[in-house]
Amino acid sequence: MRRKSIITALFTALAVAIAILWAFPVYWMFNSSMLPNVVLQSTTPTFLPFGGSLENFTAALADGKFLGALTISLTVTLSTVAAVLIIAFLGALAVSRFKFKGRKSFILALLLIQMLPAEGMFIAQYKMMSSVGMLNNIVGLTILYTAAVVPFTIWMLRGFVAGVPAELEEAAMVDGLSRTKAFLKITFPLLAPGLVASGVYAFLQAWNEFTVALVVMTEDQSRTLPLWLRGFVQASATRETDWGMVMAASMLVAVPVIIFFLIVQGKMSSGLVSGAVKG
Amino acid sequence: MKKYLGIAAITAAALTLSACGSGTSAESGSNPSDNADRSITLWLAGGDTSDELRGYLKDTFKAKTGATLKIEEQGWGDLVTKMTTALPDANNTPDVVEMGNTQSPTFTNVGAFADLSDMYDELGGDKLLPSFVEAGSVDGKKFALPYYFGSRYMFTRKDIWTEAGVATPTTLDEFNAGVKSIADKNPREIKNFSGFFLGGQDWRNGVSWIFANGGDLAKKENGKWVSTLADAKTLKGLEQLQDLYKNASKAPSDAKDATPWLYINDADEILGDDGKPTGKTSLAAATIMAPGWAHWSIGDLKKDDATGKDVRTWNEDTFGTLVLPGNDGKPAPVLAGGSNIGISAKSKNQDLAKDLMRIIFSEEYQNMLGGAGLGPANSDYVNSLGDDQFAKAAIASASNSKLTPAAPGWASVETSLVLEEFFGKLRDATDLAALAKQYDEKITPQLNLK
Amino acid sequence: MSTDAKAPPLAPGRGGQSSEPGPAIRRRKASKAPYYLILPAIIILLVALGYPVGWQIITSFQKFGLMQQFGGSPEFVGFENYIALLGTSELWVVLGRSLLFCLLSAFLTVAIGGLLALLMQRVGTAARLMLQVSMLLAWAMPVVAAMTVWVWLIDWRRGVLNWLLVQFGIDAEGHNWLADPVTFFLIAVVIVVWMSVPFVALSLYAGLTQISGEVLEAAGMDGATGWQRTRYIILPLIAPVLSIVLLLQLIWDLRVFTQIKLLQDAGGVANETNMLGTFIYQLGVGSGDFGMASAVSILMLILTIGISWYYVRSLMKEEN
Repeated sequence: MRRKSIITALFTALAVAIAILWAFPVYWMFNSSMLPNVVLQSTTPTFLPFGGSLENFTAALADGKFLGALTISLTVTLSTVAAVLIIAFLGALAVSRFKFKGRKSFILALLLIQMLPAEGMFIAQYKMMSSVGMLNNIVGLTILYTAAVVPFTIWMLRGFVAGVPAELEEAAMVDGLSRTKAFLKITFPLLAPGLVASGVYAFLQAWNEFTVALVVMTEDQSRTLPLWLRGFVQASATRETDWGMVMAASMLVAVPVIIFFLIVQGKMSSGLVSGAVKG
Repeated sequence: MKKYLGIAAITAAALTLSACGSGTSAESGSNPSDNADRSITLWLAGGDTSDELRGYLKDTFKAKTGATLKIEEQGWGDLVTKMTTALPDANNTPDVVEMGNTQSPTFTNVGAFADLSDMYDELGGDKLLPSFVEAGSVDGKKFALPYYFGSRYMFTRKDIWTEAGVATPTTLDEFNAGVKSIADKNPREIKNFSGFFLGGQDWRNGVSWIFANGGDLAKKENGKWVSTLADAKTLKGLEQLQDLYKNASKAPSDAKDATPWLYINDADEILGDDGKPTGKTSLAAATIMAPGWAHWSIGDLKKDDATGKDVRTWNEDTFGTLVLPGNDGKPAPVLAGGSNIGISAKSKNQDLAKDLMRIIFSEEYQNMLGGAGLGPANSDYVNSLGDDQFAKAAIASASNSKLTPAAPGWASVETSLVLEEFFGKLRDATDLAALAKQYDEKITPQLNLK
Repeated sequence: MSTDAKAPPLAPGRGGQSSEPGPAIRRRKASKAPYYLILPAIIILLVALGYPVGWQIITSFQKFGLMQQFGGSPEFVGFENYIALLGTSELWVVLGRSLLFCLLSAFLTVAIGGLLALLMQRVGTAARLMLQVSMLLAWAMPVVAAMTVWVWLIDWRRGVLNWLLVQFGIDAEGHNWLADPVTFFLIAVVIVVWMSVPFVALSLYAGLTQISGEVLEAAGMDGATGWQRTRYIILPLIAPVLSIVLLLQLIWDLRVFTQIKLLQDAGGVANETNMLGTFIYQLGVGSGDFGMASAVSILMLILTIGISWYYVRSLMKEEN
């Protein structure tokens, strides 16, 4: 028993150490965002933002473009998440619950699409969006993002769908529930963690992406947050980059994701926890 | 003029008057209200054109043409990508585009820009920086014109030069010997101290040693461009560079020219609450080479009363400027930095775009550029830079400045970073001539467009 | 969720990857339903990817440079681009480097992610939450922002890494990690692993929580040690999740682009650190040789399929 508790303590210490190590770059961003540029240029790092201020944040928000970019990023990201979940769920249902001709080819195609190098497609994507008048268009960007994320989410979801035994549903139907009701009452809740995980994945991809956005969102007012952020990093050929401000801007881009994660995380882990307690 | 009227007649009657050039609003566009619902887009590279200048352009454009000017800022790193996609697209092309001067040969050669030859004289003609004009010309036709220039010169730590007992050099050889001696003496005993900080991959500054010895990066031979790194004169410059990399500079072999001023600033003003310094000095070099605008980032830290922020304030006692001397009594040729500007060939608003060019090349705007510290394209207005030592150094070094070869494939040489790679290998090369030859073979095919 | 707490615990192993025909798959005669279900996915993929992929295939057989991009008519050159590519050593070097990077990063990611998932299971709620939150923070970091911080952490003069090494008595002052292609490569691996581990750790942890506690308890009572339980019960049960996660990591790490591009921008010799993504980008958008860039893309696709063929096939077999 004592040995066991020592081992547990060791594991706990290890977990805490790793947690700190992993979060350090994130902490460093926060720390730097509070410090003036001059301090940041010193060869001796300053580990705590004492005497720091929110000046960098005010500076980053000064041009007033943040809110516009935030709106666009949120719209595109949330639309992508919604579209991806619906499309991928249907697809996952098809491949995990039905046997049909072309099923294997479909799964194979999903895998192969993920192997396509994206770097060679920018020009063609621009041409396509331009010819249908969808440059600077939120719907257009959403379509491109959805297509980029759907193959993986179908892969991810089909495991969850398959993990719910059809017998469960059938048993419920024997108990007198309609097929739809059985699905909604039995299968759907079991899928929630899978849907949340897929949603998180889609959210991150759409939120972070910047090369496609760079190419098809050509106008100033249609820039997404990553483009807005990049604008700070390479703002000037003639003056020094204001790293404090860049870090503050990075924080502003990261915070909505962290909030989103915290909201979803509760759901995800409660789902997972109840899964774990079951046994 | 005659030719211009010919073109104008085809496009729209309203422009014929605007051809008369800058001046009062009555002259440009018969009736500004005709243009009220038209707009054109100007792409500016980076944030170097200040808000004040942007505001002036928008307001003046509105007043003169009645149309709206939209200004969109493109990041330097993404400019080539965006020009490649948007310029060929008639429906979405920006009308007027600023680009790096070294990027302009590539895009002018593929026909991305409208021919401005007929308004060249009107916009300043021979007064415009010749090397920049050349970078935007193909077969004598002018497609892209200079927007602003900056020229490179040296920033020195006067105090350390004095401590090391090295006098201000008057020739390139003296400079080379001087910075080596400073690195050797290292008067403040700072670890890895550079007499002259030159990043290993910093070819834009290092190329001056090639130019100063009469060499060049490439030349046109029988209608084809060839890389000339292995030419005898170029090699002589490369040998001097290798010597500097080995004996004067402690910069890493992969350092680029991004922010060399960090190394000559002191940062030891960082004091903790108890008044004791919490940060070590970050001083690491006695000399750097940078475009003139670097002086905004060099100096002692002083609190700016208006914003309460610490800003760098030039200190005459500590810092100095120095135009890199050549061995022929003239300043050594340096690589000019700056931008060109042109009208997209696919623009549907050629008339308005030309009106914008007239505003940009007007006396008033050129002087504003100079006032903002950017070298105006038109040499008549260079005085607007002021007469402080920075302006003087900028003008002196610009007087003998050079540009990268006007080869159609030059942008590809730059984006493939092959020169960065080559310069980064200079320090440790045992056989410079063989290395140069190896890179000539890599670069020559890139110079000529496929 | 709690309403079905009585439902029998699920073993993830029963997912779509079980080797015998899954009971989950319904045999229905010639139903059109599955086709309707995959229709939206097919439509969106065709709409968004059809043209770009088609364009790439056609362009790869053309002499297509900036001239053509600006309206010149492209010349059909057959397999010339491919032949030119296969003839240079550069392609093979880049390919080798990418493969090594991809294998190293993917295996490290999955190994570390797996160990962290096990660790999360072992420790108390507080420590687990800490780990989860720090994973989420790293995962949530926008790539551009994360790269900016990393570049800074390893900066040769102001970087915390060198500063720390100096504090530990290692003479790293002024050491530049990006200058040498080998350390550049290692730094890239560290960053990519840092970014990818959270996904793997959290997914595997989710998989672990689905393993019945009863089974483990029973095994414990039968005297199985922790290692035995891991080896004989946990590992086989999460093997399907593990193999999918590994495959995905392999694919993603082979396609790595933004991280390498931003590291190259920060220092390092681009031509000696290129991976497939940056190689294609440099050829295409960078040098304006779209014909060649497209040929590399297509070649890469074929090579990736070739390399992963065995793995894909065994996965596909399990689909039956």
